[in-house]
Amino acid sequence: MSKIKNWYKRIYHELFHLDDRLLLIIAGSIVGICSGLAAVALRLSLESALEWLHPYRSYGWAFLLPAIGAVLSSFYLEKISREGAGHGVPEVIYSVSRYGGLLRLRSSFSRLISSLLTIGSGGSAGPEAPVVMSGSAIGSNIAKFLGLNDRQRITLVGCGTAGAIASIFNAPIAGLVFSVEVILGEWKFVNIIPIAIAAVAGAQISQSIIPAQVIFNHHPFNIGVSDILPSLCLGIVTAFVSVLFTKILRQTGKIAKKTSFPFWVRAIIGGCTVGMIGMFMPVVLGEGYHFIQLMILGTFSMGTFLIFVAIFAKIFATAMTLGWGGSGGIFAPCLLIGSLTGILFHKMLFVFFPDIISAREGAYALLGMTGLISGVMQAPLTGIFLIVEITGGYETILPLIVVSSISSTMSHYIEPASFYLKELIERGQFLRPGTDARILSDLDLGELVDKEHIRVSENMVFREFIELIKTSNQNFFPVIEDATDEYKGVIQITAIRKYVLDPGMYDMIFLNQVMDTDILTASLDNGLQEVLDMMDMNNMDSISVVEHDLFIGMISKNRILDLYRRELIMQTTAH
Amino acid sequence: MNYKLLHIFRNTPFGRETFLQSLYFCKIINAHPVVYIPKSDKFLMYFSNDAVQVDLDASYLTSPETAKTHAQDLFDEMEIKSKFFEPKNFTASSLPDIPTNFDYLCCPRSVSDLSSKIGLGHLGPKVRRIIKHATFPILITSPVFKPWKSISVFFGGSKNAMNSLKIGLKIAMSSGLPLDIYTCLEKKEASHYKELINAADLTEPVKQLSRKWHFYEKDDFDTMLYDIPHNSLIVLGAYGHGLIKDFLFGSKMEQIQSTVTNNLLITGPHCSISL
Amino acid sequence: MELSVSELSKLLGVAPTTIERWLRQGNLPVSSKGTHCRFNKLELEKWAAKKKITLNFSEKVLPSKKEDEDIPLPAAIQNGGIYYDIQGDKVSQVLKNSIEKISIIPDDLKTDLFERLMEREVALSTGIGRGIAIPHPREQLNYLDGPVICVCFLDHPVDYNALDQKPVFVLFFILCPDLKMHLHLLSALSFCLKDPQFISFLKSKPDSVQLITKIEYLQQENTQ
Repeated sequence: MSKIKNWYKRIYHELFHLDDRLLLIIAGSIVGICSGLAAVALRLSLESALEWLHPYRSYGWAFLLPAIGAVLSSFYLEKISREGAGHGVPEVIYSVSRYGGLLRLRSSFSRLISSLLTIGSGGSAGPEAPVVMSGSAIGSNIAKFLGLNDRQRITLVGCGTAGAIASIFNAPIAGLVFSVEVILGEWKFVNIIPIAIAAVAGAQISQSIIPAQVIFNHHPFNIGVSDILPSLCLGIVTAFVSVLFTKILRQTGKIAKKTSFPFWVRAIIGGCTVGMIGMFMPVVLGEGYHFIQLMILGTFSMGTFLIFVAIFAKIFATAMTLGWGGSGGIFAPCLLIGSLTGILFHKMLFVFFPDIISAREGAYALLGMTGLISGVMQAPLTGIFLIVEITGGYETILPLIVVSSISSTMSHYIEPASFYLKELIERGQFLRPGTDARILSDLDLGELVDKEHIRVSENMVFREFIELIKTSNQNFFPVIEDATDEYKGVIQITAIRKYVLDPGMYDMIFLNQVMDTDILTASLDNGLQEVLDMMDMNNMDSISVVEHDLFIGMISKNRILDLYRRELIMQTTAH
Repeated sequence: MNYKLLHIFRNTPFGRETFLQSLYFCKIINAHPVVYIPKSDKFLMYFSNDAVQVDLDASYLTSPETAKTHAQDLFDEMEIKSKFFEPKNFTASSLPDIPTNFDYLCCPRSVSDLSSKIGLGHLGPKVRRIIKHATFPILITSPVFKPWKSISVFFGGSKNAMNSLKIGLKIAMSSGLPLDIYTCLEKKEASHYKELINAADLTEPVKQLSRKWHFYEKDDFDTMLYDIPHNSLIVLGAYGHGLIKDFLFGSKMEQIQSTVTNNLLITGPHCSISL
Repeated sequence: MELSVSELSKLLGVAPTTIERWLRQGNLPVSSKGTHCRFNKLELEKWAAKKKITLNFSEKVLPSKKEDEDIPLPAAIQNGGIYYDIQGDKVSQVLKNSIEKISIIPDDLKTDLFERLMEREVALSTGIGRGIAIPHPREQLNYLDGPVICVCFLDHPVDYNALDQKPVFVLFFILCPDLKMHLHLLSALSFCLKDPQFISFLKSKPDSVQLITKIEYLQQENTQ
């Protein structure tokens, strides 16, 4: 036994002392494979669920199916795996920015199961966010198992995300870009290589298990220069659709939270609504990859007006699914809404300008997708690269960039926070590395506090105090009670000048008569941001920290600047 | 000093007993209790290398409207200044993060089973996981409030046991209560343990603070458990021997905690305690 | 080389908890093991240079250095010397004659010093009353090795435009290479001159041994 242990220790030690990068590349590719497998598993089971349920779709009670799925899914999340609500991506971003990417083991499968139940039964949601969640949880737990530190763990979380996205779309670059752009938020040399390898590993796994990639196989398109002008207009249209989508999603969620129904009643209401819509408009059901493909191929048969209605139906159905108890992401709905918008735009174009020379309908479906991804997630690069990989050619890149940049700029103008980040920003938890908020949240008050302060008793005579300040360079003297050490107040040298210069006072007063008792104090529970605000509001240079009525120490702006700079250096320079 | 103990308040008679126990512990060692009244049935604790989700059972959410006044009453009864903890960060809307910078944490023997099932029984898996990752000692309370008058350290020679000895000495120092050390000899002689203490520079404090060092033969383990005074706080280290061995042979901690009703203070493998 | 967290924290000038957090976050080139960090000193220096962080390998020496500079008053007088029977009826005459006698001033700089002292006297008289004056230049004298006080007893009292208009019978020249020492000596000297007994003792024109013992005695009394 001990031999194995020693052997393990030695191997581990050797590995640890190898270059960090090699370790990350090896671990990253494992993570990429695992999360790729998770994504493939979800996709295959979604397909078989669809097939299995297909015969029942024609019955009149079929509208109940999404409701059953939603109830099961929310029951599973609430009672069995006991995960918190939400679609997962904000949770990953939060954990990456605050806790070094620590994620629970249960997250690596729970969202897969719940989203399978929701989407498989017809709920309108995407499988990408659940896959991202489980991919990153896999990465995080592998890092935990290897005993890696926060920085390395974050890289592996990024690897998990990249592997998952790459595998589900068979698009490695999109996986890499999504991971860095949305999840990690920083382009660091040490991160990129393992993440790229994980993305490729994920895509390879997906390709080797599902050899005939029905969805998103490569379609060459001829998008010419003449399409630039329509692209500009499409960008504006998609920006508005994105904002509408984000707003409706959030509003429906808020309404659902206000109702006092138990979670399963909510799930039934949401599920039935989606089911009803789906009876008349099956395009809204499920993740909709099949319809997206039809649209790209240009064989999608729906009237112009119906498409117009379908856009809103899909938006509403997605909001009802996600807001009222279902589980899943918004990536696939974005793609569907985007391609519907694109096709609608193309059709309208021909109504108004019958002679225009432009690309096929499918190309506009792709441009619409880019527009929606850039608008809703405010991740323009992800949008561009996903479509570039799908079309397999760079001739489309100019219109893509036009649509994507217009859409993301405009929707950013109307709605500054993207759907993923809105919640985090509202809670003040959006902490990208190297930003002010991140540094302030990383620095703990306990690290800043200067504990070496001479404390004085409240019963000290002023003359004794004068002797004390002659030899001390302290500017603040905390006053404490003799018996209990309780903090009573503080003496600021600047505030007592007039007494110091008056020797007649020396034997007349005790310190409790000169101390300031109404000066604000901080507690160790306060965040640095709060403390800084407090100091700014009251024009203070130092603040005393008091906890449980005990004086802990002082925090000065000098010290804050000192450590702030150190922290900034630590977080921003390359390793 | 400024030591903090986190207590997760359960608004039931059983929870009251545990809370009284925490308050008593704080009063004796001069620590400050901080009470968290849960608003959802789960919370997360982020340790340095693990995120532990603690699922509380429904009894923690019993009549939330009275919880705060009940806790306040108990604070007043023990004449301790009340302090309540409000979580600031949330991983998800119903999943608050509880910080892990406390000095002690009070746990019942299980946090996710019904109290009726616990009695003595075994430690719940969540409590175990917290012990395994915590950087602070865990106070595991007896089922009913039971003031203690002495401290018994169970010293088995491992690194964790050394930590538990240190924390025992620390408590003895701040409370002024007598300290006993109990060692069950396994293969080694009594002198071996004394050398260990010597190597850790603890001979002097042990001499000053401890009342007696009891040695028992390997087979007398149960006798030893009986000899430990019923009204003492038992301090012991968990997982002294590595996971695999624990899994195969069971650990001393399990054996002790399932036989005695005393309050236990357990130091996990990640605790670092300095005198 | 092995260092503990607290030693490393001193080296980097941050709290030990910060070091622990940095270790956890993987910001330091250190492999941690329990409470001890093992690190290669060279590696750490390279890393610190890259990040532009200064490592305080040596202890700070600033405060103790200041202690050394404070030369006690008796020693300053010892170094400066005592001179008697300075002739002259005017401020400029007594100053000129004193400077001529003071041996530690190099000959070629004597006129310069005299000009500086006169400049000071014109600005504001250094006669502090009770027959005592403390002439000193306003700038430091770089050519001196250390601070000195030269005591010059006048042959007969001279009108010095003093604050209390009393004629001056003794001059304490404070000559320093550094303004800080100047303040220190001035404060120590004025402490002694506050004592009326000391003034009357001075009138007896004591020799250097007597004067220094008297000052030492006064200072000792103060500290008790």
